[in-house]
Amino acid sequence: MEIVTRQKKRHNRWERTLSHMMLFWEDVIKVPLFHCQRCGECILSHTGFVCSQRCPKRLRNGPCGGTGEDGRCEVYPERLCIWYLVYRRARLFGRIKLLYRIEKIHDWNLEKTSAWLNVFTGRTEAPKWRVPRDE
Amino acid sequence: MCAEMGPPQSCDADVIRKKAAYFTGVVDAVNITDNQTAIVRLSSIAAAKILLEQGLEPIMQVTCRDRNRIAIQSDLLGAAALGIENVLCLTGDHQRFGDHPEARGVFDLDSIQLIATLAQMNSGTLLSGQPLKKAPHFFIGAAANPCGEPLEMRLIRLEKKVRAGAAFIQTQPVFDLERFSKWMNLVRERGLHEKTAILAGILPVKSVKALEYMQAEVPGMRICPDFLQRMKNASAPQEEGAAMAVEIIKEVRRMKGVAGIHIMPVMWESITPEIVGAAGLQTTVMKKT
Repeated sequence: MEIVTRQKKRHNRWERTLSHMMLFWEDVIKVPLFHCQRCGECILSHTGFVCSQRCPKRLRNGPCGGTGEDGRCEVYPERLCIWYLVYRRARLFGRIKLLYRIEKIHDWNLEKTSAWLNVFTGRTEAPKWRVPRDE
Repeated sequence: MCAEMGPPQSCDADVIRKKAAYFTGVVDAVNITDNQTAIVRLSSIAAAKILLEQGLEPIMQVTCRDRNRIAIQSDLLGAAALGIENVLCLTGDHQRFGDHPEARGVFDLDSIQLIATLAQMNSGTLLSGQPLKKAPHFFIGAAANPCGEPLEMRLIRLEKKVRAGAAFIQTQPVFDLERFSKWMNLVRERGLHEKTAILAGILPVKSVKALEYMQAEVPGMRICPDFLQRMKNASAPQEEGAAMAVEIIKEVRRMKGVAGIHIMPVMWESITPEIVGAAGLQTTVMKKT
């Protein structure tokens, strides 16, 4: 089982230009909707369409031990734990089983590049759109 | 059964040796915290090595807060070379709580990815895919919080940790037996107690203040109001705290699936032998051959 997102190839000149252009449109959609953090390796479809990268520890695999009884974040008590939101949304959409995936270790070279382009060029995994609802 | 100790905030090795004396012959292994609550302390590798020299079995904690994948793998190889092979993988407290709140948090890996990394190193390759000429034999551990919300998410995460390769699980301190037994039931339902050894965390408290502080400040902690009331009414809070710890141990050991006890005497290492004796626990002494 591969546990790291390996760097396949650096973006070439054309890919960089394309990435910039696509990133603009990605931001227009994903920033207001999901507070996208532009990690370049989008796992929104696994996390009930809540961006897990808003977590202060940028956890991709579930909450740390610090979520309070009322679901508050330990670092910023004024807001809810992102993973609490993820769980709630995944429950709502019947996508709990996707939370069982062990997410790969992030490739930081992909930061601030277009996640969509990275999927098209085979750098990252394709999002899981259609999954049967949990019972 | 194991206990926990924090290294000192200085380079004084005698402090570690003194604390180690409380544990010798009393517990099977001793956890060495890795800069807990993000406060700078003597490094866990060095402290673990000192314990090893004292004839104790150390469990080194590794957090992802301070090191990226390069440093973590290098430190782990170093630890394995020194004979430290029990590792507890943690994500780590956020740097905001510590004495250097301005620091940059690394969090390159998270605890589940760290467990998977160790499992991969055990099988003889680094994360880069580079083969190791001599593979380490890490005994991988992880933490679990039975009190966190939402409960199902906690179990999903526990299952992921077990799937990634965690051989033992230490829980956060248990102060709410009702909640812990509920969690334990769910763990049994998933059959996780058969794939991993679950050690229940016990934290003997010295005073009401400590208990109140934990309830207010430590996130993800549930404290049964009965215990709080008992500590408030107690004339000798220290004795009451120890008695409470013993009571919790006895109660927890009755639950099916609890493989052991993990005592966390924060700033109160000297109480360990007393609690272990009173609770009728025995070391199995799992010395490495």
